[in-house]
Amino acid sequence: MTAGTRNALLGATGIALFLVLWETVGQLKLAGISWPPLSAVLEMLTDEGRRPLFQRALVATLEETAQGYLWGTTAGLALAALAHLVPPLRRGSDRLAAVLNSVPSIALGPIFLVLLSRDSTPAAVSSIHVFFIVFVSMGSGLERATPAHRDLFAVLGADRLKRFRRLELPAALPALASGLRLAWPAALIGAIIGEWFGASRGIGILIINAMQNFQIVLLWCAVLLAVGASLVFYGLLTLLERAAYARFG
Amino acid sequence: MAGGGASITIDRASKRFALAGSSEGVLALTDLSLEIAPGEFVAILGPSGCGKSTLLRLVASLEQPSGGSVSIGGAAPGLVSARHALGVAFQDHALLPWLSIHDNIALPFRIAGRRVDEAAIARLIELVGLGRFETARPRQLSGGMRQRASIARALVLEPEVLLLDEPFGALDAVTRRQMNVELQRIWSERRITTLLITHSVDEALFLADRVVVMSGRPGRIVREVVVPFARPRAPAVMRSEEFHHLVDDLTAALEAPEPEPSPSTGGEAIGSGTA
Repeated sequence: MTAGTRNALLGATGIALFLVLWETVGQLKLAGISWPPLSAVLEMLTDEGRRPLFQRALVATLEETAQGYLWGTTAGLALAALAHLVPPLRRGSDRLAAVLNSVPSIALGPIFLVLLSRDSTPAAVSSIHVFFIVFVSMGSGLERATPAHRDLFAVLGADRLKRFRRLELPAALPALASGLRLAWPAALIGAIIGEWFGASRGIGILIINAMQNFQIVLLWCAVLLAVGASLVFYGLLTLLERAAYARFG
Repeated sequence: MAGGGASITIDRASKRFALAGSSEGVLALTDLSLEIAPGEFVAILGPSGCGKSTLLRLVASLEQPSGGSVSIGGAAPGLVSARHALGVAFQDHALLPWLSIHDNIALPFRIAGRRVDEAAIARLIELVGLGRFETARPRQLSGGMRQRASIARALVLEPEVLLLDEPFGALDAVTRRQMNVELQRIWSERRITTLLITHSVDEALFLADRVVVMSGRPGRIVREVVVPFARPRAPAVMRSEEFHHLVDDLTAALEAPEPEPSPSTGGEAIGSGTA
């Protein structure tokens, strides 16, 4: 058995154990009524009648997340590249990003609500999360070129832009791909938090409604949807990351 | 012999590196003068830490001298580098892992903003014996093949000066000898002014027109030998008695104890106004 299959097997066993534990605790009501058995949650999730509800929520949240992901990535890349090419900007942009990241997004929500429309608040909160991760990963990625490669470009007479385009940018892609992978779950959390400030639909709205009406099973359905939306894209981005390391690492 | 390229003039160059906790820093080179004629191949031989790589970095414009001057064909190395007229190969092959061998060799054209001369690249790939590996990536090749690619890249812009910093230092002895024979053949076709840094006596003698021995801390020249063998040189040269004799001579110079500071290096204070 190779190390890879053994790892996969161990992982699958772990997940199966967890699901069995979930079901058992739920069936025996060991954690009270707020812990329903897995089977009850899955039953509601696959219920034909509720499908439009879940679908609408999922699509809305995915749209906001994708939008925030795109904005955040664009802003993160632009600022990282600018800070790299214009060294005097470097310290200032590092500080700005750190300050932005240290403000809890739950506190930013109301500000976005005032500045933007209710429906763009989720994407805005999401983009803040993404921005910081992409900015930091791209910034550190641009420093990855080896001293030997830098010496080579210097001796060959490369100007700053040529060095950026032909050396630093390709060398940064693996680190950037890692950042893009980590940014997806952060983007999703941002969108869900953003929805709590009054979006008209989405997984976050589903969560709030379920909580307020004490619909425990529905609440767990929403959580499972969020986990699924996170894991699927996280998996796809992991493949992208592997490709980047194989090609540019 | 009719050579190509520019001359290199190193005039009383010194290099001092800053060192944390020391106001004086470290003196890597002191008062070093060396003149390399156009088309001449000079090898610098010395123990590790003797400043021989620092010397190459001064010529490559990667470092600035703390005193004295370095020029290539009368111009500052930085200007020569800016007009893309330096070729360089390091011990680390420094090929870009995401480019094919062909694209790595084409890189100097792209950096210089010139049209990629496919014919020149094809000729060089053939010359260094990488004919079937143009589309391969560096990590698919052996250490020796990567160094060949790196030497082809150094030559592709037909530089005025070729700088080689222990290009075969990381190779095994057999591959290294083979690479020396190939470099000798390649160089004999181009005859560009070349500065080779090495710690191998055989390599220096087999490749160079002149071998310069440096001693360390601070680096200075202790011996110079003009190599008498005619070009092109066959590997058989390395088995001749004269070759062995020169190897012994240079090895002795390398292993000699630090020489006493001569009066001229001891009291360097020209132009200092204080008593």
